[in-house]
Amino acid sequence: MHMIYLDHAAATPVSDKALQAMLPYFRESFFNPSAAYLSATKIRRDYEAAKDQIAHVIGAKCADLVITAGATESINLAFNILPPNADVLISSIEHAAVFENAKKYHYQEIAVDKTGKLDLADFQAKLTPKTQFVSIALASGELGTIEPIAEVAALVKAERLRRELANETTPIYFHCDASQGLGLLEVKVGRLGVDLLTINAAKVYGPKGVGALYVGHNVKLKPLTVGGGQELGLRSGTENVPGVIGFATAISEAEKHLNSERRRVESLRKTLKNSLSDIPGIIFLGNPKNQLVNFLPISLPGLDAERLIFALENQEIYLSTGAACSASKGIKSRTLTAIGLSDTEIAGSLRITLGKLNDEKNIIEAATAIKQTIISEQKRIKENCI
Amino acid sequence: MKTVYVGMSGGVDSSVSAALLKDQGYHVVGVYMKNWSKNLPGMKCPWAEDLADAKRVAVKLGIDFKVFDFETDYKQKVVDYMLTEYQKGNTPNPDIMCNQEIKFKLFAETAFEQGADFIATGHYAKIKTTAGLAHLCKAADDNKDQTYFLYRVRPEILSRTIFPVGNMQKPDVKKLAEKYGLENAHKPESMGVCFVGEANMKDFLAEFINLKPGEIRELETNKKLGYHEGAILYTVGQRHGLGLGSGLPYYVAKKDIKQNIVYVSKNLNADKLWTNEIKLKDIYLRDTAKQVEVRLRHRAPLIPATFDGEKVVFEKPVKKIASGQSVVFYNQDICLGGGIVAED
Repeated sequence: MHMIYLDHAAATPVSDKALQAMLPYFRESFFNPSAAYLSATKIRRDYEAAKDQIAHVIGAKCADLVITAGATESINLAFNILPPNADVLISSIEHAAVFENAKKYHYQEIAVDKTGKLDLADFQAKLTPKTQFVSIALASGELGTIEPIAEVAALVKAERLRRELANETTPIYFHCDASQGLGLLEVKVGRLGVDLLTINAAKVYGPKGVGALYVGHNVKLKPLTVGGGQELGLRSGTENVPGVIGFATAISEAEKHLNSERRRVESLRKTLKNSLSDIPGIIFLGNPKNQLVNFLPISLPGLDAERLIFALENQEIYLSTGAACSASKGIKSRTLTAIGLSDTEIAGSLRITLGKLNDEKNIIEAATAIKQTIISEQKRIKENCI
Repeated sequence: MKTVYVGMSGGVDSSVSAALLKDQGYHVVGVYMKNWSKNLPGMKCPWAEDLADAKRVAVKLGIDFKVFDFETDYKQKVVDYMLTEYQKGNTPNPDIMCNQEIKFKLFAETAFEQGADFIATGHYAKIKTTAGLAHLCKAADDNKDQTYFLYRVRPEILSRTIFPVGNMQKPDVKKLAEKYGLENAHKPESMGVCFVGEANMKDFLAEFINLKPGEIRELETNKKLGYHEGAILYTVGQRHGLGLGSGLPYYVAKKDIKQNIVYVSKNLNADKLWTNEIKLKDIYLRDTAKQVEVRLRHRAPLIPATFDGEKVVFEKPVKKIASGQSVVFYNQDICLGGGIVAED
């Protein structure tokens, strides 16, 4: 028996290259990058080079990045630009980190359609001369639906220019949470037109506890932590050197193989989807035209998804219900509610996300096991009804 | 096929109970009772993990699984009772109240309403029926016997209750768990109040009750020895946690709730720590026997005593137990009921 991991959107294993690159920085090259001696200066240079590498992947420069302890911190830092009571717009399917931050302000949610795609008309209707912050994820963490970020950015830019011409001083910033999608989509800040972008190492085969926030040139951020003035004063604290080295290695590797990996994963998803499609009652969620290639969210109305997960876990097949964090708290997924699913559809929803740990062989194996598990659960329920 | 609803906590005893019932041919429905889900400062409530564990077992056994949400009732009938009792200076036993009000009342009634023929739990106790009347009896495993916590369960509920592990030894239950492939076979048992644990009782109470610091005085001399965080936190007979430095240990001999003073003594033989009789209230007895054996705390040895309908009288003095605790009566293996220690 061997594990078949189908939950790459929750966490990814650190790649061999990233791990090997990190190791020297725990012991031999442990110096504080701020220390005066040459050995420490060398660490500083390695660190800056790694940051530059990360920045390069998203089409930015080293000085545009603030390294954080992950996407949640990046998101918190981005929101910290706002004065109290600012007007904020988020989509109705954002991650809890965005949602909980928005709640601190005067916020409104932008509707999505039943595939999770942002309703641009609703966005335009809600964008007002008072709006100061817009936060939309690059792709939904539950559905994989890719959002029209460049279109939103264009609308934000138009509003900014209108304000300039009208001598209005209210600023407006566009933040995009790109935690999901990096490594499978080309993510370039220039093309996306964002002012702030959150990225995360743990979803691209880098270590957990490392992320970054891209900060555009016109954006004057306020730090959340003050102290020694690291990260241009935006995030004090001794640098996480091994973490950043690992992040840089992992993200560069992902970029290098982006197209081949995308094709490979897309083909695996096709195999899996075809195999599952004859299960009675199965619904495929998300937007087939605009979906991250590794996402296969499904729903089996009438079944309890958690039971399926436990049954599959016994066969060493790991996948998720909705978003991992929502499920364990027993809270109904906000995303699945927002796309209009019924309670039974939500209760029966599973998120399958593929990645490096999958190949043709284990996907076929997983498909058979998932199918059998679902069908036997359907049978069990039917028998108990009589 | 008879239907049995099994209260499943995710622990080994209730998991094995469900497995045994399934093997015996019952239509088994596992039920997780959601009694408490709030995290309190410094105390993570493990309900979501427990629920997941219980559900995992249900999936493994291929049985139905439900969640009964008793949170409101549990707060009212168990937690509020506990808080009120502490505020009066008593030391209540919430597990006994939980069995009386939640597990063997609300859970049972809900299960029967939904069509269950029986309920079952993983308690260590036996039920013997004589002349159509169900009696609560001690478990086969003396070490695990939980009748002390079950003495207030009514016979009409007992007659429809199954304790599948009641006639087994705990080590055998663990072996069975492994045989059934139940992952949680080695999960630590929950101790004390299911959701708090004894160690955290003070923090738990502090969340709900406004504690006032007060003086600790020596019983014999009335001399001030130090300070406490609130007299209600102390239990007569208690030895630990007085923070009075080294030397011979002090025992709590008396609490003055009104003045918020805790009296302690180094003298284990101090009169206040011993008694020949215990006055009971809220008595629930299924038998009017005068000569009985009593248990003063869970797993404590049985002590012969006489009961006059109000007081339990002992031949030799016994160490006092706090008001609010239970005295449980036995006639050999049969648990006859008991009562709650009245305030002095």
